[in-house]
Amino acid sequence: MDPTVLRVLLNDIAELTGEHIVLVAVSCGIAIIIGIGCGIAGTRHPAVRRVSVAVASVLQTIPSVALFGFLLPIPLIGGIGKHTAIFCLVLYSLLPILRNTIVGIVGVDRPVREAAIAMGMTDTQLLRMVELPLAAPTIIAGIRIALVTNIGTAVIAAIIGGGGLGVLIFRGVASVNTMEILGGAIPAAGLALLADAGMSWLERRIKIR
Amino acid sequence: MDQGQLLSYLSFRSVEFVREGRRILDGVTFGVERGETLVLLGRSGSGKTTALRLINRMLQSTGGSIWLDGQDISRMDPIQLRRSIGYVIQDFGLLPHWTVEENVSLVPRLQAWPTEKQRRRTQELLEQVGLSSENLGLRSPHELSGGQKQRVAVARALAADPKLLLFDEPFGALDPVTRHEMQQQFLDLRRKYNLASVFVTHDLLEALLIGTRIAVLNAGKVEAIVTPDEFRHLDTPVARSFLETLPPALINQQDAVRP
Repeated sequence: MDPTVLRVLLNDIAELTGEHIVLVAVSCGIAIIIGIGCGIAGTRHPAVRRVSVAVASVLQTIPSVALFGFLLPIPLIGGIGKHTAIFCLVLYSLLPILRNTIVGIVGVDRPVREAAIAMGMTDTQLLRMVELPLAAPTIIAGIRIALVTNIGTAVIAAIIGGGGLGVLIFRGVASVNTMEILGGAIPAAGLALLADAGMSWLERRIKIR
Repeated sequence: MDQGQLLSYLSFRSVEFVREGRRILDGVTFGVERGETLVLLGRSGSGKTTALRLINRMLQSTGGSIWLDGQDISRMDPIQLRRSIGYVIQDFGLLPHWTVEENVSLVPRLQAWPTEKQRRRTQELLEQVGLSSENLGLRSPHELSGGQKQRVAVARALAADPKLLLFDEPFGALDPVTRHEMQQQFLDLRRKYNLASVFVTHDLLEALLIGTRIAVLNAGKVEAIVTPDEFRHLDTPVARSFLETLPPALINQQDAVRP
């Protein structure tokens, strides 16, 4: 391969990998805040739990390409560009985080919760001192699933101008350029593996404590 | 007249509890003084645990009133009320992610005692319940035996100078020897701290050993309130069925059960 072409490709990979990481980090960050927040609220109010889990489940069933497409004509949150892509990725990441937060908190042993309340913990203290620490491994597992899935889904963001490694893949497919396809696919897979390993380490560390 | 003067330290006055149309407690009235242990004895479903949980407002009574130290508990802040009442349950309820010491100092911590005072109190209590020797304070609850866990739970219940102790079949899951040790320790602690306590059990021998008085519950109603000695001659339905579970020799020998 021509060294100039290779240099350009490597430059693209570096830049687009950076974009990809930003897409994933921002969308996952927002999804963590909303998912854990709604999850906690869901353990306090059954109605919130029913509605939020139902909405997140339905969102998860929409094919990702279609969801990106749906958002295009919608003002403010839609249109071409990064913000639409991030919005979409947030919606996709919600369910595992939300569900695992609820499962983790509800799964705290009954006698433990009962004793904590009977000793005079307020609801906030119960959450902070008992429920969240004990639910942490489950919540982290949910974030791990969301994060790894998100890295894959973010590839599709390229079709609505969201940038990221998908740009290389779609360009490679369009021009039948295997190097470009691999240049997008390999770093994306690498990111996913790296994220998975990192989250798995975090999960184990928290469990040991 | 001041109502407080008519009341025992802990008083139930015609307390009822109805849930989903089912009357679980009906007109329950009793009193417990300082230094006294009232045992609530009854079969499963007789309402004894419900009665206990009304005292620290884990449940809210639907009728009657409960008074502690001259105050109607329904007018007290439930959080403050619970912090002033020790609670020991059969399944321990220790926080698995905290050390033994942290578990014991839970209520002092919630009440924001100074750290040094928390530490001293925790050491004192671990010694009191016989756990100070093997440096158990820094272990996790899952490293302890059942008996040790329950000792931690008792120490936790005593930590913040409670007004009252509640026990819900605390020694039911322990082997007979450990159970006996814990019962003796309970009697020692009662002598030392002169606390009022309510003790739920369905173990008649335990009731006779530990209770200063025994309230027999039958389907949500108090059938009788008697001393352990009187209980041996009690002729009410539930008392009779409990007495029939004892070998005859034990009932006839006055001092066989009570040391």
